[in-house]
Amino acid sequence: MLEMTGISKNFDAVKALNNASLEVKAGEIMALLGSNGSGKSTMVKVLSGLVNPTAGTIKIDGKTVQIRSGADARRNGVAVAYQDLSLVPQMSVVDNIALGAEPSGKVGMVDRKKALETAEFYLKKLKIDVEPDALVQFLMPSTQSMVEIAKALALKPKILILDEATASLHSDEVDTVFEVLQELKAQGVAIIIVTHRMSEIFRVCDRCTILKGGETVASGNIKDMDLDEIVFHMTGKKPDHSAGAGQHLEHTNKEEDLLLDVKGLSLPPKLDSVDFRAYRGEVVGIGGLDGQGQADFIRALLADQKPSSGTIVYKGREVHYHSPADAIADDMGFISGDRARESIFPIRSVAENIFAGSAAKGKLFAPLMPKTVNDFAQKAMDDYGIVAGSKAHPASSLSGGNQQKLVVGRWIALSPALLLLDDPTKGVDIHSRHEIHEILKKCLEDGMSVIYVSSDNEELLEISDRIYVFYEGKISAQLVGADRTEEKLVAAMLGLSENTAKGEA
Amino acid sequence: MKSNTASKIKTFTKNNQIGMALIISAVLFLATIILNPKSLNPVAFGSILSLTSMLLIAAAGQTLVIISDGIDMSVGATMSMTALITVAVMQGKDSIGLMFAAMAACLVVGAVIGLCNGIGAVRAGLPPMVVTLYISNIVTRLQYVFTGGTPEYTSVPDWFRKLITTRLFGFFPTIVFFAVAFLVVVFFLLSRTRYGQQLTLTGNNNRAAFLTGIKTTKVKMLNYTIAGMLGGLAGFIGAGNSGFIKCGTYDSMTMDSIVAVVIGGTLLSGGKGSYVGTAAGALLLIILSNGLAVLQVSDSMKNLIMGVVLIILLTAYNRAKPVRQ
Repeated sequence: MLEMTGISKNFDAVKALNNASLEVKAGEIMALLGSNGSGKSTMVKVLSGLVNPTAGTIKIDGKTVQIRSGADARRNGVAVAYQDLSLVPQMSVVDNIALGAEPSGKVGMVDRKKALETAEFYLKKLKIDVEPDALVQFLMPSTQSMVEIAKALALKPKILILDEATASLHSDEVDTVFEVLQELKAQGVAIIIVTHRMSEIFRVCDRCTILKGGETVASGNIKDMDLDEIVFHMTGKKPDHSAGAGQHLEHTNKEEDLLLDVKGLSLPPKLDSVDFRAYRGEVVGIGGLDGQGQADFIRALLADQKPSSGTIVYKGREVHYHSPADAIADDMGFISGDRARESIFPIRSVAENIFAGSAAKGKLFAPLMPKTVNDFAQKAMDDYGIVAGSKAHPASSLSGGNQQKLVVGRWIALSPALLLLDDPTKGVDIHSRHEIHEILKKCLEDGMSVIYVSSDNEELLEISDRIYVFYEGKISAQLVGADRTEEKLVAAMLGLSENTAKGEA
Repeated sequence: MKSNTASKIKTFTKNNQIGMALIISAVLFLATIILNPKSLNPVAFGSILSLTSMLLIAAAGQTLVIISDGIDMSVGATMSMTALITVAVMQGKDSIGLMFAAMAACLVVGAVIGLCNGIGAVRAGLPPMVVTLYISNIVTRLQYVFTGGTPEYTSVPDWFRKLITTRLFGFFPTIVFFAVAFLVVVFFLLSRTRYGQQLTLTGNNNRAAFLTGIKTTKVKMLNYTIAGMLGGLAGFIGAGNSGFIKCGTYDSMTMDSIVAVVIGGTLLSGGKGSYVGTAAGALLLIILSNGLAVLQVSDSMKNLIMGVVLIILLTAYNRAKPVRQ
């Protein structure tokens, strides 16, 4: 049914896909697997027309096809249900399901009656208990995901892709979806599932294709493979199931050094009762597959997102910040991996970018001379060896690595008590990454604490004293001392650690 | 060599909007004189200075608002309103006290209008263009409600007019001093305070500014309020600059101020700009308008030509640069 061969995609210097391939037969459920940055999302995007590959061919039913847009994908019978929903929140359920494939009635108008019939058919099929006229934005997250799946089904696809679409579903909803998938399979639909839940793969999939570093490293029948083998292909390590969450862990940190004590932090549907501690002068790593709640946890600490329950005790007292400005005034710092959106001021100068954190503090109308800004920036650049071109050039003229060094310099120069980093070295060259680590190490000696989210396991193991692993909004393991092995990290990332594994696998 | 010079010129036009605006102004001015030598006289020269100063004063708030990635469609209405208030409070009387009372009233009314803009555009998160346009509409209607369409007083006392319109040496209008005062204050605010720095950063990347600890909502609300006050003050000065104040006297200042700000190199998408640039932009706009008037082009033709020229200038150097990822 579907044959993708020699697919390559470069984003600037980064090779997201390198000669990857994928083959799915009619009436088959294929699991597309891979760790962070393996290229599986890019692969799905190539198939759905969101990304145009640099090289490679796609064949559907033996014919070579060009998929350059969502409309092309649709024409070729490809439908995708995404985790980050493609629904329009302000439109009704029925309009969302019909969107882009509205049945046409008389004189080219939308046949609302037919659209409603179609929507009701698929809502019933998926046992979604919702008024077709309800606006999507008022539905529960899990119901929204179900509507997303209904929308994909309504296109009557030949090739159906579920891209982490089951991530926020309840177990009974997952059961319903899988029943429908079996039905579609019998009708000869080719189905591709992208998921981080290993148990689901063994439950419904016939075969799997595993990507690593943008290449297809393995594919085969699920029956012939065991979990450890799959994980080995994904990560290059055999998982070690012995890392646990609830174990009492001995560590060398003293109670009086406790800087941050988080208890029962929840932010549905992203975070579920997270307990977390950070001590003075340590690097606490946060690992996990992409999108397991790490980013939300960091932003909840910073008061960018408001948790629904839980307490945060920082510097010995419970804090309730109203905005990041409060958290930052209380000696926190935040470095985002999403530079363009969350940290760089592209048309402002290098000096102003470094000074930005300091510009946020102090009296509004007190004089601020350009010399102050420049001297501050120069000192930060000298002290921490930030080489970033001329101070007067706009930040957008720098490379990604140098931009990130600016942001690091911005915060380091303020010497915060707690520095939060959310995957700061994403898309940063090796050299700059190394320099950023060196800068952080210098600051640790001064007693700063660091919470470091990374999607790169090697980096995480190298830099962290202690690692919390997030899985589906919960902490699936805490790795301390000799427990900090890649094998244990991998097991915890996939939710395979003893404690969580019992319930699922 | 040739291509090198060409690329140098290209870089200059792209990065030096203020210089460009001044050069174009000078060329236009020379062209006007060559085409109609009679137009070079102290009266015409003085009126260019006077009009430029008035526009510069009117565009002070607009500069601040556009830098913060907003827009203020209510400047004209605010000025018309406070000009009316000024003549009404002063009642043609010979009293310094009443003048200060009028000035205070203008500042308060301007601040209230600005605060309303801020609440709508920042706190409520509505599109600034729409919110300020509606506020502008309300302010305009209020002028008619209060005056019934025909204000009791239509001009300030002569001594106040002279304070603003006297031509020193026969060509140098005193309003220039007020414009210079505005220039100093707004330049300081924008380029020499933490407030200006926060405003610029917020205008460039609101989300990044928020996560860097800047209270973006507060800064932007405050900015709309300050812009409103500057607009109120502009109306106060405008009352003295015109012999006849009616409802809607300064309504055209809204569009003119936006054009002056943008020609002066301030990005419509926010994050970059200067009040000195606005001065150059105001000069260009007035010289162009003056030149067409001197050449006795009909009003409709004049508006048409101005429109075309402005669109060319805006596309020439107000395109935001792509961000390197």
